[in-house]
Amino acid sequence: MRLPRFEYVKASTTGEALAALQAGDGQTRILAGGTDLLVNMKYRIERPATVIGIRTIDELCSVTTGSDGSLHLGAGVTLSSLAENSLIKESCPGLGRAITAVGSKHIRNMGTIGGNACLNTRCWYYNQSQLWRDAREVCRKAGGNVCHAINGSERCHAINSSDTAPMLVALDAEMVIQNREGERRVLAREFYRNDGVRYNALEPEEMLSRIEIPRGNTERRTAFIKICSRRGLDFAMANIGAAVSVKAGRCSQVRIVIGAIASHPLILEKTAAVVEEGGLSEGGMEQAADTARTELGTLTNLFSSAGYKRQLAQVLVKRVLQELKGSSRNKRRAGK
Amino acid sequence: MQRRSRQERGAQVMVSKYSVVGQRHPRLDGRQKATGRSEFSDDVYLPGMLHGKIVRSSIPRGRIVNIDTSRAEQLPGVKAVITHKDTGGLMPGPDTVLLCDEMVNYFGDEVAAVAAVDEDTAAEAAELIKVEYEPMTPLFSMKEAMAEGVPPIHNYIEDNCADDISMAFGDVDKAFSESEHIRTDEYVIHPSHSSFAEHHVVVADYSLPEKLTVWTPVQSSAIIQMSLAQNFGLSSSNVRIMNLNTGGAFCGRGSERPHHYIAAILSRKTAKPVKIICTADEEFIIYRGGGKYNFTFKTGVMKDGRLKAIEADLLHDCGPYVETQFIMLRFTGFQLQMLYKVEASKFTGKLVYTNNPPYFFHHGAGLVAMRFAFGAQLDAIAKDLGIDPVEIRLKNAVDKGYTTLSEMHFASCGLKECIQKTVKKSGWKKKHGKLPPYRGIGIGCGVLRAGGKGMFDHDTSAVFIKIDEDGKVSLVTGLPDMGQGSHTAMAIIAAESLGITPEDIKVIAGDTDITPFDAGAISQRGTFTTGNAVKNACSDVKKQLGKTAATEMGVKPSELVFKDGKIFSKGKPEKAILFEDAVYNTLHSSEGRFVMGRGFYNPPTEGVSGGDYKGNPALAYSFGAQIAEVEVDPETGIVKLLNMTVAHDVGRAINPMAVEGQLDGQVFSGMGQTLFEECIMENGRVLNPSLLDYKLPRPFEVPGIEHIIVETNDPYGPFGAKEVGQGPIQCTSQAIANAVSNAIGHHIKELPITPERVLEAIRQKNKNQ
Ligand SMILES: Cc1cc2nc3c(=O)[nH]c(=O)nc-3n(C[C@H](O)[C@H](O)[C@H](O)COP(=O)(O)OP(=O)(O)OC[C@H]3O[C@@H](n4cnc5c(N)ncnc54)[C@H](O)[C@@H]3O)c2cc1C
Ligand code: SF4
Repeated sequence: MRLPRFEYVKASTTGEALAALQAGDGQTRILAGGTDLLVNMKYRIERPATVIGIRTIDELCSVTTGSDGSLHLGAGVTLSSLAENSLIKESCPGLGRAITAVGSKHIRNMGTIGGNACLNTRCWYYNQSQLWRDAREVCRKAGGNVCHAINGSERCHAINSSDTAPMLVALDAEMVIQNREGERRVLAREFYRNDGVRYNALEPEEMLSRIEIPRGNTERRTAFIKICSRRGLDFAMANIGAAVSVKAGRCSQVRIVIGAIASHPLILEKTAAVVEEGGLSEGGMEQAADTARTELGTLTNLFSSAGYKRQLAQVLVKRVLQELKGSSRNKRRAGK
Repeated sequence: MQRRSRQERGAQVMVSKYSVVGQRHPRLDGRQKATGRSEFSDDVYLPGMLHGKIVRSSIPRGRIVNIDTSRAEQLPGVKAVITHKDTGGLMPGPDTVLLCDEMVNYFGDEVAAVAAVDEDTAAEAAELIKVEYEPMTPLFSMKEAMAEGVPPIHNYIEDNCADDISMAFGDVDKAFSESEHIRTDEYVIHPSHSSFAEHHVVVADYSLPEKLTVWTPVQSSAIIQMSLAQNFGLSSSNVRIMNLNTGGAFCGRGSERPHHYIAAILSRKTAKPVKIICTADEEFIIYRGGGKYNFTFKTGVMKDGRLKAIEADLLHDCGPYVETQFIMLRFTGFQLQMLYKVEASKFTGKLVYTNNPPYFFHHGAGLVAMRFAFGAQLDAIAKDLGIDPVEIRLKNAVDKGYTTLSEMHFASCGLKECIQKTVKKSGWKKKHGKLPPYRGIGIGCGVLRAGGKGMFDHDTSAVFIKIDEDGKVSLVTGLPDMGQGSHTAMAIIAAESLGITPEDIKVIAGDTDITPFDAGAISQRGTFTTGNAVKNACSDVKKQLGKTAATEMGVKPSELVFKDGKIFSKGKPEKAILFEDAVYNTLHSSEGRFVMGRGFYNPPTEGVSGGDYKGNPALAYSFGAQIAEVEVDPETGIVKLLNMTVAHDVGRAINPMAVEGQLDGQVFSGMGQTLFEECIMENGRVLNPSLLDYKLPRPFEVPGIEHIIVETNDPYGPFGAKEVGQGPIQCTSQAIANAVSNAIGHHIKELPITPERVLEAIRQKNKNQ
């Protein structure tokens, strides 16, 4: 498939990129690795007049540590280089796992953390060629008034399949957003929206410049699991990111987040409360998994059936808790 | 240098009967392929070449009210726009018109086409063509299509029944009435696609009215040449087919497709070469992949497991155009009585026109679905009777010398050997029924013919050989190599026949202006049929060289042996002449004979003729058995294929390395069809037309594979060889599906076995307990 025509701006500073974004009147898209955007452009799902390349902006392509020990990931850093990053491996291995779960080595060599965090939502009726889509009325995500996936739906249910998104939410990451006026910070859990069309908090003239991951205490454990039909090069049927502080067998700051089954990562608060209560005992984990199944609200039959998604969520919660139990920076204290 | 090394090799003691056949040999073009130097049709760029784009129907069924091409025609860079009016009423198939005239019959049907200076302009122009339709109620289910009074898809076939056959052998009623146990089961196999690595592509040069040249990947240059010549009113030698490399065919590239005609017409109109390449989604839209199969199997057996009667019914959706599905129907009918000895068999099959996309042969000649269904039922029968699945197969397996109910004759047969060897190697006896929960083991068996009549009245392959004065051989063949390594196999057969090495041989193929007739790489005929033709051409060469050698050595030509780069007399091997010297001396003598061999082969069978479907279409049949071991995750439903033990009776392994490659490839594809691949059809459209959403397995999914090559030395095959083209895949689906059934304790009746279906099956099983 061929790309449509577009203007290309190669930005060398954030300022240049933001200026071009503002001038673009909503017809402009940021190109990081392009592994999502260019595919969508070939399908003519996206037809931006201007594309702004940001991989040439140095300030977006570095990983640094803040004065409070938080980890600052520049939006333009490739997933491959983050996969090798020792700070991530040590302080939040779950994020490392999420990063290496993305696509394939080729995709990770091109794809960036910013692009993965801002990944467009997907749907069988939307991620299709022009010819395919022409056969049906224009759906909500494409600017119309109908939904083909869920008949009669008042909103778009396209799925957020990003592998890092649930982990970023679980880590209480902060998304640093810039526009020409300045900077604002949004917690990852607020960055994602339960809407297939406006799936994140970015305004048309804004860009994500970095992601900040709080240092977390030394007892923080993190884990990520992805279930997909193929080993690699596949979007998740469901994924899960979790973080928990374990001290003397007690769990606190529990975050359990399921991804790839709805338009945004789903935070399982009741399930987390069960874990805080019951800890990582066998019974506690079973109970948490059962809670997860009931805690999930309505799910759509998109990519897989709602029933199967529920089943996967339950299994993932159980497995991620088992992994958290077994993994710690301090193995000796791993909850028995 | 080279001459000395040859003589040295000649001094070694030979252990095997053959010097080259049976040795592991990397593909002759392996290096070229691996370094990206092999040419494919899309690499063809001709001076002045234009790019074509096809405008496809955006509705599944309707009447064309108007086609407005004016805006496209005005777009700078556009050189031609064509619709049905420009085709001269051409019909590529009995039920297919080229570029729809009145009706569109499926989502994606070709309506118009453009040629422009580049791909982008062509695509833009195609978008500017506005087609107005009067939509009609589409028929997506066979039930709707067969209902009384629905407007038929083709007005000359009122009941939408494209084909309806009944094929019975033996006394079916009697065999069932004598049966002690009868089972009836229904099976559903969902559509899966060939997903060729190389998309559909054509470059057509019809700049001059008397000559059409077409570059395209196909399994048979002969078939496409014949069709194009007929439809364009050209004499066949004026249609030149350039078949370079082919990126996968899997039974799906046997014949021409609409884009071949469309490119030719655009080229005629513009007097420029025109290239059309399908985009990734078009590959799924024009479809021509595996269809949806609904099988009912009724089988009668005796209590000891002996098969009495098999009756199968297949209701098959064939989309709006029959394509090859009528052949698939007949193949299925024959298969019922080919693998196991049975007293009677009956097959009823019906093709129903719908507005789903047109289907085609799909990897395994459309027989994998049938083999899965019967293999699954045979396991269920074994369970009913308390017999081991292996035992019931061995009890009924056909043997060497067996003649089937339809009079097919097996001159060689290694079925039992395949079963026994896979059983032994896989550790079946220690595993079956003894594995931990959710681990399973299953067996599948298969049979397929090697070549044979049907496509033409004959099944001919012809071969030329020319030998240059340095002793290097050019082997000219019309047999394509789609990746299976057939050209290397032909070189090995020639090398063995002439006593030289495959590296001394250049295979020249893919240009019908040069190559002699070959029916093509279809019906698993390459090694068997073209291989025999190569042998015959080599005999011709040996006669010519033998004259020179015999005279020089003062022996009789009939005593000569060609081996290890030398020609010598049987009795006196120490007195030898080098092969290349014989060639050189044949030319450089007062007689000045240039060495050229010719040979052809047409299997001396009658084929199947007449309404009773009886007769022997082929001389050789291959057999196989495979055992799969799986692990099922009962929480997610994901099946992991742990390993496959794969045996195939190839007659003789011309190149064991290539045989293993074919076995691996077919395990891979069979695994895909069984566990992963499904075109999710909704209202005549594939919901997942991309390799991201269509779950083609990847190399990581390949299980451990144990290869067992069974050699039965077929009396008719070249050096005893039969086929390894699509025989092995016949066993794969059954083996995996039976292993999954074994793992979860529930009879799987639907393919592919997706995680959701596995969980459903486990639920069903728990409900029944
Ligand atoms: C075959 C294949 C397999 C894949 N598998 C996976 C997978 O397993 N898991 C997964 O999560 N993803 C997968 N992807 C999707 C995608 O490749 C990855 O998510 C990748 O990380 C996207 O990053 P990118 O830099 O290439 O994004 P781009 O394509 O450059 O951008 C993605 C989107 O984010 C926007 N964007 C990018 N950077 C910024 C920024 N700094 N500020 C604001 N907006 C921005 C872009 O405008 C665009 O809308 C797959 C893609 C393909 C083609
Ligand atoms: S879920 Fe969204 S993208 Fe999918 S059909 Fe509905 S509106 Fe369109």
